[in-house]
Amino acid sequence: MRMAGVGIALVCSFAAWGQTARDLAGGKASFRSNCAFCHGLAGGGGRGPALSSGRLQHGSTEEDIKNVVRNGVPGSTMPAFDFEKEELDALAAYVKSLSGSATVAVTLPGDAVKGRKIYDRTGCRGCHQIGAEGSVFGPELSRIGAARSPDYIRESIVDPSADIPDEYAGVTVITRDGRRITGVRINEDTFTLQMRDASQNFRMFQKDEVQQVIPEKKSLMPAYGSLSQEDLQDLLAYLNTLRGDLNTGAEVKKAGGIR
Amino acid sequence: MKRQAAWCWLVLSPLVCAQNVTYERLVHALDEQQNWLTYWGDYSAIRHRDLKQINTSNVKDLRVDWIFQTGQPGSFEAVPLVVDGVMYFTAAGGYAYALDARSGRQLWMYKHAFPPGRKADFVNRGLAILGNRLFMATPDANVVALDARTGRLVWQTEMAPFNGGQHQATLAPLVIKDKVIVGISSAEWGIRGFIDAYEAATGKRAWRFWTIPAKDEPGGDTWAADSWKRGGGSTWMTGTYDPQLNTLYWGVGNPGPDLYGESRKGDNLYTCSLVAVDPDTGKLKWHFQFTPHDTHDWDAAETPMLLDLNWKGRNRKLVVQANRNAFFYVLDRETGEFLMGKPFARQNWAKELDAKGRPILMPNTEPSPEGTRLCPGLAGGTNWMAPSYNPETRLFYFAVREGCDVYYSSPPVYVEGRQYWGSMQRAASDEPEWGMLKALDPLTGETTWDFRYTHAPWAGTLSTAGGLIFAGDQDGYLMAFDAKTGRNLWRFNTGNPLSNSPMTFMVNGRQYITMPSGSAVLTFALP
Repeated sequence: MRMAGVGIALVCSFAAWGQTARDLAGGKASFRSNCAFCHGLAGGGGRGPALSSGRLQHGSTEEDIKNVVRNGVPGSTMPAFDFEKEELDALAAYVKSLSGSATVAVTLPGDAVKGRKIYDRTGCRGCHQIGAEGSVFGPELSRIGAARSPDYIRESIVDPSADIPDEYAGVTVITRDGRRITGVRINEDTFTLQMRDASQNFRMFQKDEVQQVIPEKKSLMPAYGSLSQEDLQDLLAYLNTLRGDLNTGAEVKKAGGIR
Repeated sequence: MKRQAAWCWLVLSPLVCAQNVTYERLVHALDEQQNWLTYWGDYSAIRHRDLKQINTSNVKDLRVDWIFQTGQPGSFEAVPLVVDGVMYFTAAGGYAYALDARSGRQLWMYKHAFPPGRKADFVNRGLAILGNRLFMATPDANVVALDARTGRLVWQTEMAPFNGGQHQATLAPLVIKDKVIVGISSAEWGIRGFIDAYEAATGKRAWRFWTIPAKDEPGGDTWAADSWKRGGGSTWMTGTYDPQLNTLYWGVGNPGPDLYGESRKGDNLYTCSLVAVDPDTGKLKWHFQFTPHDTHDWDAAETPMLLDLNWKGRNRKLVVQANRNAFFYVLDRETGEFLMGKPFARQNWAKELDAKGRPILMPNTEPSPEGTRLCPGLAGGTNWMAPSYNPETRLFYFAVREGCDVYYSSPPVYVEGRQYWGSMQRAASDEPEWGMLKALDPLTGETTWDFRYTHAPWAGTLSTAGGLIFAGDQDGYLMAFDAKTGRNLWRFNTGNPLSNSPMTFMVNGRQYITMPSGSAVLTFALP
């Protein structure tokens, strides 16, 4: 399991380092060590959205980019960073430069209307929520088109174990009487474990009252590699249209720093 | 209880006696098992107390006795002093407090006055005491002396210009004889590190030991060009002291810029070293460098614990350290001779240590623009949280962090008052960090037992004659373990990640355990 780029937040609070020249080289170095982890080395996207499309979700001006870096995106894995002004200027200039001359977002092949039907037919809502519909067991998809690159979403469908966000790691508890209870780990500490099961219920355990706690190496989501290329493209086209509102009440994560 | 303390207690009331902590009492701090007179509890930093009212058979009944809320945000890293029923401690942001150690009721509070506009809300690790004065290093790199009876400021001396955060102090001072010894933080800001001694009476600086030698001084040739001027080498944790040898032992932090070594080729003395210093003059007696030319932020700030042990058939005065670089070291503290170094956590940076303790490096360990994966991570195999040693089990108990990082690097530009890192690290993405409480035999470096924590800890340990080890984890648990077996006997969820080390004391025949958590001081006792 990869760790969320911000879940690593080690210790204290300062900005990364001391680059100051407002130049693309400085911005690039900064991008590589702070952003590439989620957005890809060249900004093509990954766990985080692509930054090279020319159209960014929260505005495409350098000022917009700086706002997002400075304040983070609530309810997402995008943390708030504490950069010095010059560092932030250089970084925003570099992110802006990633778009090159592109001005229009790439349109995905596939039929979104058909994709919606495939979503329903395949039973995705058994685990995922869009708007108020569906289950809260798996990740909410109301904003998935804005939050993730199409390549990342494709990978998540055909090979969901390739990257499991920390907050959706699976875990199985074997009780003293031999029952196996599997769910999404909400929290685990040295002595206790809290999970959400597929029926959307909280399940809470004291480790000394159970036989075993087994972290699942694979995603709890089945792989949908059997979808035809056409169905997959339609499904992706549908998911790419999901650009719902931010969960503004959610916590904004803080980028990790160093003591 | 001996000497003046005993006399005082018999003839006068405890509160009068509290004002008279002589140097003699500090030297014999372990004769006052009920008190905790220095940051480490005594000069050797053994952190074991001969108190057994709370023990393996009754610790299950341990419960919170009182809570004091400071209301101060920030990591609470101060270990309190307890002197004859009065508890003294600091909180982040320049606060100091005195409490009735039985009730948690406040006696006074001090708030350091920052110049207008200065933001310095950094952590603080506590106080030192001498006579009726307390000493504190402030977040903005001043040393202040307070009247222990009132909290009133007696004198204040600037260690170095704050300069927008360039010089910061976070440690608890150490009093030796008539001097207050302090160190400086902020190796990440392009400073030249030092250890300072101030006259306790006046606040006048008595000496300064530069941890980075100048070009023409011994060791100056271990720095390329003028890199020594911004070489880092901070001294952000309290040292230890051997009164018989009249030697001060102090761990020195990383070189700067942290993750970029090209501009500072050479061993970079005395960074990532233990220095042995004459406390009267500030002159270096010897040094031992754990990590030459460090590029992973592996400070040697961890506790240099002083132990007198039978080493291969001969009683020797030793200094031991579980270092951030994931090796446990044993040195002769009279000479600095390297005696042993063994890895205690996963590491893949050193093939081995040579006969003199110098690491033989694995290939490709340097941080790079693309990122270099290496263990331990930047926070180290352990860190500043205190270890302890139990003379009965003869084991060394400490917190271990298991994790790896991807280290990035790029040439930084130095700007005064700005951080000077040379890029940064990210956690290795293929595995989460975790941790352990480990009981290690200091004579062999072998593990006797360990207890696994789900997350990598920032809290240290305390050993007691009750057969207990107290320790904390990153999920907020204060825990008690059987010192012999490692069995977990008690736990309490304090509700905040613990970044501190537990301590114990006794007042009126009742033993207490104290552990700060969040912005509260939690004190535990038996019903």
